[in-house]
Amino acid sequence: MIELGIEEKTYTLNLGPQHPSTHGVLRVLLEMEGEFITKAEPVIGYGHRAHEHMAENRNYHQFLPNMGRVDYLHALAFNQGYCMAVEKLIGLTVPERGEFIRVITSELNRISSHLLWLGAYLLDLGAFTPILYCFDDRENILDLLDRITGSRLTYCFYRFGGVPQDLDDEFITGTRAFIKRLRKRFKDYDNLVTKNIIFIKRTRDVGVFTREQAIRYGLTGPTLRGSGIAYDIRRSEPYSAYPLFNFEIPTGQRGDVMDRYLVRVREMEQSLRIIEQALDKLPEGPIMAEKVPKRIKPAEGEVFQAVETARGEFGCYIVSAGDIKPYRIKLRVPSFGNLSILPEVAVDTLVADLVAILGSFDVVVPEIDR
Amino acid sequence: MLMSKIQEALSPLGLEQVAPGDYAKTGYHLEVKASPEQMPEVARAMLGVDCFLESLTALDLRESFTLVYHFANFWELCRTVVYASLAKDAAAPTISHVYPGADWYEREVYDLFGIKFAGHPNLKRLLLPEDADFHPLLKDFGATEAKAND
Repeated sequence: MIELGIEEKTYTLNLGPQHPSTHGVLRVLLEMEGEFITKAEPVIGYGHRAHEHMAENRNYHQFLPNMGRVDYLHALAFNQGYCMAVEKLIGLTVPERGEFIRVITSELNRISSHLLWLGAYLLDLGAFTPILYCFDDRENILDLLDRITGSRLTYCFYRFGGVPQDLDDEFITGTRAFIKRLRKRFKDYDNLVTKNIIFIKRTRDVGVFTREQAIRYGLTGPTLRGSGIAYDIRRSEPYSAYPLFNFEIPTGQRGDVMDRYLVRVREMEQSLRIIEQALDKLPEGPIMAEKVPKRIKPAEGEVFQAVETARGEFGCYIVSAGDIKPYRIKLRVPSFGNLSILPEVAVDTLVADLVAILGSFDVVVPEIDR
Repeated sequence: MLMSKIQEALSPLGLEQVAPGDYAKTGYHLEVKASPEQMPEVARAMLGVDCFLESLTALDLRESFTLVYHFANFWELCRTVVYASLAKDAAAPTISHVYPGADWYEREVYDLFGIKFAGHPNLKRLLLPEDADFHPLLKDFGATEAKAND
């Protein structure tokens, strides 16, 4: 006899790993009671490439290209975190112009990451149009960065001690034109999305994170700032040239999906402000430190360096045993902490709300899997 | 100041070391040494001063393991690192009941190092396939070594 299981109250629903709203290969096992979720368990690891293991088998230079492939949407922040950690370990100082170029390119990369999120997230919610506009704008950034870094996505641009390529006039005029263009476009996005009644109904008071939850789960980035905590490494633990610029840390009040959306949109405006100031103040001088050792062999010791990526705090923890290869590198990635709150907030929501919540994390799953 | 608050919260626990760190060199304001058995108490004390668990990982020192916990704070810059030395065949108590965010970190450490966390509600592999029979970050894990150029 076949058991039909009609008497059972719950059933299992498998979301992913190839579901379009999971942004990569994330699988969420859902236990459903009718239309409501009673239990959600994210299953990760489909994109595990053993970056931390690779680190132990390569010298410091050889590991650099890996950093563009952990979080491919904000690769330059990962470049920066790793470079700064190694620079701290061997006591290198980056010249001022080098730091400015890092800030300009990294902030452009942050905007491109947020633009992709904006388009893809609205696509998750059923709005098809915005992604076409977002990709149009993002294309400009990719062209600009392609000119300087030589690649469009998995950048490997920063070096220990600075950057290998100076900015040229065409990049600077192109970036200024882009800033002007994107500021106009923000008004269009605002009209198209923010005041859209369907969007508001899908996002207001959905997926609320409290302050206590944020501490217990170690949330960072816009996911945290949506809940009203102004924790941004660029301000809390200033690095590179960020202390020289004026910018605000946007925060939300309610901690819902809508607030996280607003935080990211306002963050793009702040990034534009940073880039504009950096271009205005761009100092003359070298872009690389003078004496960069070809062979990096740090003394025994360890270092923890945090930077702010588009998704939150990336911490690069390097342990050196005095060898040419790192003894251990741990990559503290933001989405790992952020996504671990999902089982708690998904309970008693609808699948449609889960999609809205999942997208609001802005997860890049290969970054979690490493 | 947060640093003295943390020192105050940790002092009744009788830890091996609570000392200021060299922030410019390592990125730590406070370096703490504890035994794994003391970790739930340390975690409770850190939660009491509103710190969050930044990262949790392990080091394979061949003769023993060291568990490395990083704590930071949203409102004031103060990074605390806690080292807990663990014998090779021993299990460490979980802190996932204090910091639910530690749940995944402990599963990752179990997955990559084979360290068991006693009292963890769901200790199974996280990143590697469920049927994997190895722990790749152990130093004697026999993977082919890529050639590091000298």
